[in-house]
Amino acid sequence: LCLQAFLQMCNLPVRVVCRANAEYMSPSGKLPFIHVGNQVVSELGPIVQFVKAKGHSLSDGLDEVQKAEMKAYMELVNNMLLTAELYLQWCDDVTVEEITHPRYGSPYPWPLNRILSYQKQWEIRRKMKAIGWAGKSLEQVLEDVDQCCQALSQRLGTQPYFFNKQPTELDALVFGHLFTILTTQLTTDELSEKVKNYGNLTAFCRRIEQQYFEGHDKDNSATAAARSAKRSLLR
Amino acid sequence: DVPVLISEDIVISQPAKILNFLRKQKYNADYELSAKQGADTLAYIALLEEKLLPALLHTFWVEAENYCSVTKPWFASRIPFPLNLYLPGKMSREALNRILLTRGGPPLYSLTEVEAQIYRDAKECLNLLSKRLGTSQFFFGNTPTTLDAFVFGFLAPIYKVCFPRVQLQEHLKQLPNLCRFCDDILTCYFRLTVSGHSPSGQDTADVNLQKLTQLVNKESNLIEKMDDNLRKSPQHPPRKLTTLKLATGGEEGSPLNRLSP
Repeated sequence: LCLQAFLQMCNLPVRVVCRANAEYMSPSGKLPFIHVGNQVVSELGPIVQFVKAKGHSLSDGLDEVQKAEMKAYMELVNNMLLTAELYLQWCDDVTVEEITHPRYGSPYPWPLNRILSYQKQWEIRRKMKAIGWAGKSLEQVLEDVDQCCQALSQRLGTQPYFFNKQPTELDALVFGHLFTILTTQLTTDELSEKVKNYGNLTAFCRRIEQQYFEGHDKDNSATAAARSAKRSLLR
Repeated sequence: DVPVLISEDIVISQPAKILNFLRKQKYNADYELSAKQGADTLAYIALLEEKLLPALLHTFWVEAENYCSVTKPWFASRIPFPLNLYLPGKMSREALNRILLTRGGPPLYSLTEVEAQIYRDAKECLNLLSKRLGTSQFFFGNTPTTLDAFVFGFLAPIYKVCFPRVQLQEHLKQLPNLCRFCDDILTCYFRLTVSGHSPSGQDTADVNLQKLTQLVNKESNLIEKMDDNLRKSPQHPPRKLTTLKLATGGEEGSPLNRLSP
């Protein structure tokens, strides 16, 4: 969803397609990826560079210090929000059983669906252990998310976008994560409640949704966005 | 598990918890920051952990020459037998594991590719920090804050430890404002007495940083002795010595003031 928002903000036409073997089609094994002409580029960072090389960039108007700040905030979102999302999906037993396993394995027949989702779970848990998140409880993870949202909320303040009037890669990234958290149904609403506590963040999401996703065919893009959000969550 | 803070009967580990504890005791370096600056602090710390930490871990623990000639003997000398035979190896393996799990994976298929990528990221991170610091003394003006401490914690080992393989250090030395930043903090807050023990902040100092500062102190003692020898020779006027003493004397009062709530 971050990528879709980014491309919409650059005014580039994009078509979202859902595929079961998406992870295998991607050159790096990671989602999302784009297919342009005969080139395939994956992951948000490289795609942004690729788009920049083609002459479209959202952060040209920023000075050096602002660019540094933008990169720092993007790392914060990746570090905290993304890791928290992965933790919730793969390390919280209730969520894993009821939502993640069925959803991740849904395109495949039994027993492949169970095997693949256990494999992914093991991989993610190993990574959590290496960075020290395995020992965290759900409350601690939610507290971290809260801290991150507080930081984003304070940085956004009353401005329409993070760097005032123009949206940048950071806005696309934050929108992607927050919208997904707000709209995906999980076993509890605690995660989305944390985000809802910050009025300016929910207003920010609504504003971007209205501006960049309702200009096009409303039903198609909203549901496609939600479906692609689920796919991006399964990264 | 280091670092560890022991205050009376309470034992706390992990930097985040230690910082929380200190804040509850009313020691807060971020008291004067605005909400936005507080948010910036979190963001920059995330940047350091994502982009700079893998290369730092690699330089200390994975790069074979560095590990064998500096890190392993250094740590082994401080850990009692028989743990000193096992722990450094374990820390090295954990560092490599962490690097590979978080930064490895396709399209980077070999360790050399991962290494190249993490060093590229680290150099970019150093450039970003340098741009953000600009010409100010600290990241948020004239008084140091938590962010300054974090950045210093990452930069000082790169800056000061003498490794055989030093690509990160060389890059850092090309950014004079970051070097000046490290030097300022070292002179203000890590000025050690002759016995080698820091008069303030002993409890909160990272164990590794204590060892580092003792090493740095030995180096600076050597440099002072060299300076003294040079000054005794007729070419150098005695004026230089007195101005140096005045500068250090003037700074004596301020670190204590800055640390109070």
